[in-house]
Parts: sequence; C-alpha cells; structure tokens
Amino acid sequence: MGQAHCEGEGPESGVALLDADGAPLVALIGPPNSGKTTLFNRLTGLRQKVANYPGVTVEKHVGRVEVDGDRVIDLVDLPGVHGFSARSLDEKVTRDVLEGRMPGLRAPDALVLIVDSTRLESQLMLVEPVLELDLPTLLVLNMSDELDARGGRVDDDVLARRLGVRIARTDARDGKGVEGVRAFLGGVQRREAAPSGRVVTNVPRGTPLPMMDAFTQRRHRVREVVREAGFVPPGPSAASERLDSICLHRVWGPLVFFAVVVLVFQSIFTWATPLIDGVDALVSSSGEWVSAALPDSWFRSLLIDGVWAGVGSVVVFLPQILILFLFLGILEDSGYMARAAVIADRMMCRVGLQGRAFLPLLSGYACAVPAILAARTVDDERDRLATIFVTPFMTCSARLPVYALLIAAFIPERQLLGPVLGQRAAVLLGLYGLGIVAAVGTAFLLKRTLLKAKPSSFLMELPPYRLPSLRSIGLRLLDRSRVFLRRAGTIIFAVAIVLWTLTQFPRVDGGPPPIDDSALGRSGQLIEPLIEPLGFDWRIGVGLVTSLAAREVIVGTLGTIYGVEDATDTSLGLQDALRQDLTLGAAIGLLVFFVFALQCMSTVAVMRRETAGWKWPVLQFSYMLLLAYVGAFVAVRVF
Amino acid sequence: MRVNFNSGPPAKPLELRLPAIPLRQTVELVHIDLPADQAEPLLERGVLPGCKICPVRSSPSGDPIISIDGSLIALRRETAACLCVRLLSATGVAGVTQLQEAS
Repeated sequence: MGQAHCEGEGPESGVALLDADGAPLVALIGPPNSGKTTLFNRLTGLRQKVANYPGVTVEKHVGRVEVDGDRVIDLVDLPGVHGFSARSLDEKVTRDVLEGRMPGLRAPDALVLIVDSTRLESQLMLVEPVLELDLPTLLVLNMSDELDARGGRVDDDVLARRLGVRIARTDARDGKGVEGVRAFLGGVQRREAAPSGRVVTNVPRGTPLPMMDAFTQRRHRVREVVREAGFVPPGPSAASERLDSICLHRVWGPLVFFAVVVLVFQSIFTWATPLIDGVDALVSSSGEWVSAALPDSWFRSLLIDGVWAGVGSVVVFLPQILILFLFLGILEDSGYMARAAVIADRMMCRVGLQGRAFLPLLSGYACAVPAILAARTVDDERDRLATIFVTPFMTCSARLPVYALLIAAFIPERQLLGPVLGQRAAVLLGLYGLGIVAAVGTAFLLKRTLLKAKPSSFLMELPPYRLPSLRSIGLRLLDRSRVFLRRAGTIIFAVAIVLWTLTQFPRVDGGPPPIDDSALGRSGQLIEPLIEPLGFDWRIGVGLVTSLAAREVIVGTLGTIYGVEDATDTSLGLQDALRQDLTLGAAIGLLVFFVFALQCMSTVAVMRRETAGWKWPVLQFSYMLLLAYVGAFVAVRVF
Repeated sequence: MRVNFNSGPPAKPLELRLPAIPLRQTVELVHIDLPADQAEPLLERGVLPGCKICPVRSSPSGDPIISIDGSLIALRRETAACLCVRLLSATGVAGVTQLQEAS
C-alpha cells in the first residue's frame, strides 16, 4: 500500500517513473561550479534522464544509482544555487524540491550537499538552511586534492561533529572518493511519513532580525565551525593567477577572447569536414545498398528519395554540431566562460543588457530554447524579457546546416589570412556577426522603448581554471546527439514523408508527375510571388514553410525535392542542384533571411510559456520576419 | 555582541569606498550601501560586513575583481562604489571581525 505513496501527488503526475518501485530519492544540491553535475554523472553514468519540471521548464536531471548490487537509489541533480531567496527560477525550483512541493516529485529522503572545499567558508553558507530541513545529509568536500595541493587543510571529523552530518571527500573529476558517497546512498531509507511544513530560506527561522544581520550571524557561526575544524584556506592558485593575468589583461584579454571565438568557428568548418564527408559517405552508401536490395517500387522511392535524402541531408551535420557543443563544454568546464562573461559585461551593459545575459546568449549559439530558459538567471524582469527577445538572433546550431550547405555550394574556398582564416569561415563569421549586430540593435531599441529601466547589477564568480573532464563532456555530447537524432528521426522524418507524398500526386499515366506539376510544386508556386522579389523560386519557398518547424528542416526538404526531381540523375548532388537554381545574390539573400527569421516553432512555444502570453512571441515573430524579408531583399540586390 | 579587537581608530569609516583601494590591499567591509534586495546576492556569496576583501585585479574594462575567502568575484565598479570599507590596522588583521550594524 505504501508503495504508491507520494507526497500530495498521484503517481500519474509528471515523472511517475521515479516513484514506481519505491526507490529512495536523494537530492544533490550545491553552489554553481562546485562539481555537482560531475559528481552526478560519476554516480549515475548513462542511467539518467533529462526532463523538465512540470509547469516550469528548468531542466530536471534524474538518474539511478546502484548500491550494494541490487538496491537502487534515485538521484536528482538540482540547479546550482548560492542561496534560497527564490529570486531566480532556479532557486525557486531548488527550494520547491527540497520542501517537497514540486508536483510529481516526492520530497527527498536524504540530501547530498556538495561544496568546493577550496572555497569552503563561503560555500558553507548553504549548510545551515539545508540542515534545517532535518534530513539525513552528506556533506561532500569536493576538489579536496586541490585543497591539499594548494596547502589548505581541514579536519573532517571535527567538521562532521560540529555540523552533525556525515562527510565524504571527493575529487569528482577523476572519481576519487565517490565510493564514500555511494556508501552514504546505500544507507538511505525511504521515509514513509510525510514530513510536514518544511521550509528552506535564506534567513534562519525564528530570527526577526533584518536580513543583513541574519546573514552576518550565520556567517559568524560558519566561521566558528571552520575555525574549530582547523580550516586553513588554500594558497592562491598560481596557475589560475597566471592564466588570469593573460585572460583578463587589458590588451591580451580581449585578444584571447576574440581568438577563442575565431578558433571555435574555424574548427567547425575545417575539423568537421572529414567527419562530415565520412557521415555523408555512410549515408549515401547505405542508401545505395538499401536501394539495390529493394525492388523498384513506390516504397523504394519513398525510402530513398524521401526518407534517405531528407533525413540523411540533415544527419551529416551532426559532427559540426557536436564540435560546437564540445567547445562550449570545454569553455564552460575550464572556467574560461566566466572570464568571457566579465570581458563581455561592459559591452552588454552599453546596449542595455546585463552581464548575466551573456551566458544565455552564448547558449543561444547552441539552441535558443535552453538559452531562453537560462535567461531565468537574469533577475531583473525587464532585462530578462530583453534577453529573451534578442536570444533568437544568436546563431543557433540549427542554422548551421543551412549555412554550411549554402556556403559550401556558393562560396569558393580561398585563403584570406594565410592558413588562419579561409573565405568560407570568414563568411560564416560574418553571418554570426550579422546576428550579433541585429541582437545589439534590437536590445538597444527595446531598452529605450518598451523595456526602459535603470541599469542593474552584475556579479560573477570566477572559479579556478580546471582541466575539463572528458567523461563529463562526453556524456553531454551523447545527450546532444540523442536530441539531434531524435529530431531528425521524428520531425524531419515526418516532413520528408509528407513532402515525398505531395510530389507523387496527381498521378500522370500511373506514375509520379513532373515535380513542377505535383501537388507540392503547385502549392509552392502559390507562394512564389511573395518570395520572388528575394530571388527565391518555389522550391526554396516550400523549404521556408517547412523550416518553420525547425530551421534545419529546409535542408531535408530541399534534399527531398531535388532527390525526387533528380531520380534519374543521381550524380547531381544537392549543392550542384542549388547552384543551378539560385544566383549568388539569392543564396546570400537566403543566408541573410535565416540570420534574421524566427523559423522555429519550439522557440515560439517556449517564449509563450516564459513570457506568459502571446504578446511577446507574436511581436518577435513579426519583427524578425520583417527584418528577414528586408534583409534578403537588400542582399539580393547588392550581391 | 562580539568582542572587538580592533584597537586602531578607523579613519572616516564610511567615507572609504572599495574603488579607492589599490590592488592587493586587503580591507574590511563595513557596510553595503545598497537596498536589501540588491545586496542579497552579495550576502549569499559571503560579501558581508566584517569580511576581508582584497581587490586582486581589474578586468579589461576596468571593473574590479575581488578576492574573498579564496573566491574570486567580478563586480561592476558601480556596485564596488557601494561597498564601504576600512583599512586594517596592524592589530586588526589578527582580530576577530566585528559584527557591524548594517543599514
């Protein structure tokens, strides 16, 4: 009977799978950059799921840990927080989960609080509100190797006794000490009685003091505890200081910043090329193999001209997207990202955004959807709206397949700056730059009209530089591949089938019609007058319509259209076909169109949710479409 | 109330602001001249009256980066200008920090 028991919520709500077999639930909490996610990955490996918390869209990472062979523990990785003021949505989610008020997730049975032991004193500020929850708690002193190496120390036993918690030392990056955490998890029992009235707040309960005094008192208690535990703070990290003297140097800092950006974009093109060629060869040879194995029929046409051409032309861009995420992961885990935010802050401040908007905007280079969610860390509401509004101008990875295809087809490779910068990479950089210009201009405009406000503050913790863990980044890349391939396997797959079907009717002499006369061609020609001023024909028009589902769908669409059209002449690749149909000006116009247009239903949907209404998404969609149309109109006449 | 070991007379305690402090000189935070809701993120990160702050470098755009309890925190100079500090006297360095009256 007790098995289906779940605090206040039926098992059918949201993530019921968590509660299905009555495994205890342990929450993993800690400040940002304390190594929380690395420890989570260490413990759960591939047995983890990413979903959203119900109602809100903060990502929820839950995983399963096997302890003592047959027992399992569910582990939830909470967003990193500095406190419980519930100012940002991350803090609100963390608080709600801890208090057992998150629908679909039972209150945790135990807690693992992880801190960076090199910064023990300030990180322990979280300990008091966490302990007030009165749950079995393990305090994990992470990065303890670094503490030792830099001459710091702390007496675990005294600390454990004073705080009344168990303590484990770890070095999550190389997995040292993780057994200690596992041992704690092994002893966690499911609590049957629902604990009531749990509250977790910044200001201690029962203190009617003003907030600042309450904090100061807590701080004094923490200081006493660490002093008793003989905590010696580590000496300054010489390596980090040396790196900072370059990365934050008045002259070198911005140069390094710029070099990093160029390196990322150059590698997307040069390193990815052999990988893309490899995937391409795999797709076409498997297509040929399937084609040879099947009898000539409509089914073969559907499979090869529709699915293989459509899905295959998108899948080949997987290596590029992975390289981008690889770089983002390395920059974030190494600690450079925080420095980049500091360097960017003044620029951001000038256009009316705050420095905290830098991280969402940078994530926007991967995908606007998580970036818009990440904008929740921007605490000022007007700043958050402005950040959300300009995020879709950041060149997301879904634009990359479109850019890559058109650049490869129309821009000849030539050295511009010796071996450093090729012409294709330069055009790509230009497109990224155009997106930034649009974002800056839009932010500037917004903050002077709709979202007028006084400048807000910016605080950024700079973690010590650390070598990124391959394992942690590898897991993230795997996750991204899954998301990308799932999209290719569902949306793009469905679009490919629908498009192929539309090319097959009306039948002419029992066979498919010439593509211009097909249902697809006819409907494409209907919208042709609209896009003719941009130099696009109906094929591009169909692509523009289907790419509303997701930008990269246009590549699959064109793959399908030309795949059907050129069924007789298979040697004609997509790039050659495009070169025959588009002028250079129109190709550049198409690129410009994709820089500006909000061709992404997921972004519109997440904006509606995040801004609680249709006003902002509708305004944004129209604004970006107008920019795109005008931009392409100008481009086709200039080039 | 805590014992105050600071014996040196603090010179104009509320006049001195963080931007006036040269790099690598450790000072004590006396008061945060910000409304509570804007001060809270600072408090959560341990920037509290009584703590020792050391500006360690400035960013390329001239904003301060401070060291506090081994953490590096980047601020804007506008925020730094709201941090009232006092110089540490020779005996004050070793002393227990004073619980300052805030706001």
